Amino acid sequence: MDISQDYFSCYGLSRDYSLDLAGLRQVHRRLQQAHHPDRFVTGSDSEQRRAVQITAYLNQAYATLSKPLTRGLYLLQLQGMDPLAPTNTQMPMDFLLQQIELREALEDMSEAQDPEAKIDAMATKLQCQASLLEGDFEQAYGSSDFERAETAVRKLQFIVKLQQQLDALEGVLLD
Amino acid sequence: MALLQIAEPGQSAKPHQRKLAVGIDLGTTHSLVASVRSGQVETLANSRGEHLMPSVVRYLADELPQVGVKAQAHLVDDAANTVMSVKRLMGRGIEDVKRLGESMPYLFEACEQGMPLINTVSGLKSPVQVSADILRALVQRGESSLGGELVGAVITVPAYFDDAQRQATKDAAQLAGIQVLRLLNEPTAAAVAYGLEHDEQEQGTIAVFDLGGGTFDISILRMEQGVFEVLATGGDSALGGDDFDHEIAEWMRQELQMPTQLDLAQLRFLLRLARWGKELLSDESSAELSFEGWPGDATYADLELTREHMNRLLDPIVSKALRATKRTLRDAKVTVGDIAKIVMVGGSTRSLLVQERVAELFQQPPLTDIDPDRVVALGAARQADVLAGNQSGEELLLLDVLPLSLGLETMGGLVERVIDRNTPIPVARAQEFTTYQDGQTAMAIHVLQGERELVQDGRSLSRFELRGIPAMAAGAAKIRVTFQVDADGLLEVSARELTSGVAASVQVKPSYGLSDGQIADMIKASWTNVEGDRSARSLREQQVDADRLVEAVTIALAEDGERLLTAQEQQGIVHQMEQLVIARNGQDHHAIAKQIEVMAKASDTYAAMRMDDSIKRALAGKAVDQL
Repeated sequence: MDISQDYFSCYGLSRDYSLDLAGLRQVHRRLQQAHHPDRFVTGSDSEQRRAVQITAYLNQAYATLSKPLTRGLYLLQLQGMDPLAPTNTQMPMDFLLQQIELREALEDMSEAQDPEAKIDAMATKLQCQASLLEGDFEQAYGSSDFERAETAVRKLQFIVKLQQQLDALEGVLLD
Repeated sequence: MALLQIAEPGQSAKPHQRKLAVGIDLGTTHSLVASVRSGQVETLANSRGEHLMPSVVRYLADELPQVGVKAQAHLVDDAANTVMSVKRLMGRGIEDVKRLGESMPYLFEACEQGMPLINTVSGLKSPVQVSADILRALVQRGESSLGGELVGAVITVPAYFDDAQRQATKDAAQLAGIQVLRLLNEPTAAAVAYGLEHDEQEQGTIAVFDLGGGTFDISILRMEQGVFEVLATGGDSALGGDDFDHEIAEWMRQELQMPTQLDLAQLRFLLRLARWGKELLSDESSAELSFEGWPGDATYADLELTREHMNRLLDPIVSKALRATKRTLRDAKVTVGDIAKIVMVGGSTRSLLVQERVAELFQQPPLTDIDPDRVVALGAARQADVLAGNQSGEELLLLDVLPLSLGLETMGGLVERVIDRNTPIPVARAQEFTTYQDGQTAMAIHVLQGERELVQDGRSLSRFELRGIPAMAAGAAKIRVTFQVDADGLLEVSARELTSGVAASVQVKPSYGLSDGQIADMIKASWTNVEGDRSARSLREQQVDADRLVEAVTIALAEDGERLLTAQEQQGIVHQMEQLVIARNGQDHHAIAKQIEVMAKASDTYAAMRMDDSIKRALAGKAVDQL
């Protein structure tokens, strides 16, 4: 098992944005079955260390490929781009304004009359935007328009961040 | 080294010989040892037929400590030397112990680094030593029941245990001379005990509700095709049945207007009476509590406790557990309706109140077929059997997660998360740092575990000092710190300066654990006369390892050496193999170990090539969805 190869090669996949999640999961399971440290408990130290390294690599590979955001970022990194570079801050103004609105809505939510309904509505809205951006990324990446793909994935990152904050808020409010 | 895996797929090289391995549930109030015998998994009893061993150790002045029932008999008359619930002290500092307050009636000796020590007639005892004494007794029981030496044990820990608590448990095993096959999370073990993976129909999501003496764990697992995957785990490492006893004891104290300050024996009396009443109320609707034999001058009248009143006392504690359960369901991204089965673990789930409230939350009755006191040990024994290599073919695989986030202290006392909780383990993450002063050659790094934002609220795991950073302008050095969590949930940190390639030396100062040196000293102290035996044993172990490696490589070379390697590469491996055989026939186990490392390194690339080759062949011409 070569843990210096890229994650797509590791699962025998081509570098495409759309992928068969169930298939990925199955290959991941089989590789884990073969390499998990549990298989080397009575083995030598170096065998055990290697099993830990391989399984950590597989877990990281699966986590990266199984989520639309990290998969997109990773594809661009493989193209030699750095979509998360701290210097990379240019975003379209209308998108930023929309983000500010969403953020304010999120902040007001904890004092709302019926927070659960508002949370649900916002979750649907965010999911819808995320799907659009994923579609946008796929098209741009497929036609090798990496600049546009980068913008899409960076927008997606904003949305995912909001989704996480919404989840956390839901946790606090429903506790 | 992946060679072995390929050379012998799914079968052992030697005729099938059963290896003796046990599962150990090292519990707060009691412990158990279990094993798989002729296909049956069972807990092992002592000569009197008792399965549960009280997790109690009594230290005596000039004798070996008493463990279990014998020790338990002296909880009241020799309270200061009879240690119970030591699990609550594992991996904890003196501040935590103060918080446990009067529930820990011992004379503690604060120790500058590490866990507080308990002052007994036989000297100062660390919680690790006390746990080791319990483990030793369990292993003895295992060896005498199974009739032979054990290859190792799977020891269970609450899923919610942090790194320090896990490390302390592993240290205790090391001190007791036990090979730890795996630290297994208790809820995962319980799910395995039910053998739910055998039933083809049984795919789905399981909740394990584990309320023990001192800890509460809730885990959500998904099961498919022999794989148990933990989706999320949560709980409270300071919530358990002991809290029930304390609540009832406190009620008695107030009801009878006893003084706030009670001595050790009086406290034990109350707790014992509380537990007795609690257990009685599982069957009866009311209990008569008698204070006959009170260790003090005052006399108290009998007290009546009804089940209804007890439930009112205990309800806030149960509610706390249910709140944690809901949080964990959310973390796992499942709803109450998704849960196909609920497994109950821990003696405290015998409480009718707990069963009712759990059934109410999940809208179905929980599984209680297996004794909730034994279910964890039984699951651990099944896993020990698998890990020892007694089963072949497509076997059970347990995939667990990191219970608590790992982070680093950054400027201003904030915690920066490096690995989020509920990340599947093993996991490795790297983080890069730089220097902030010209010519800076050292750097301090503080590792924390927990979900809080502030350093002061998290649990300090260790402080590292990186030294030997080459002197450069501020911001020019790039130090990559790698966190690696293994399958036991234990953290290892390494660091390297990237521009120069210098490996910075990492100095570990465990915040609550023992240093390797301390453990080595303790082992030496308890094993003074067996030094010779130990090196003989090491020699044998290394020889076995060497033989296995030589055999595996020889088979591999015969199979595809010529196809995959150049003549020169083959020559190199054969040369290292010859060196290993020479070392193996000598008497120096260090030399063998060293040559095994060299040999393994020499054949690593080859092993990787073979793995790729076999995967390529397996995948050739197949689309992903056919796999």
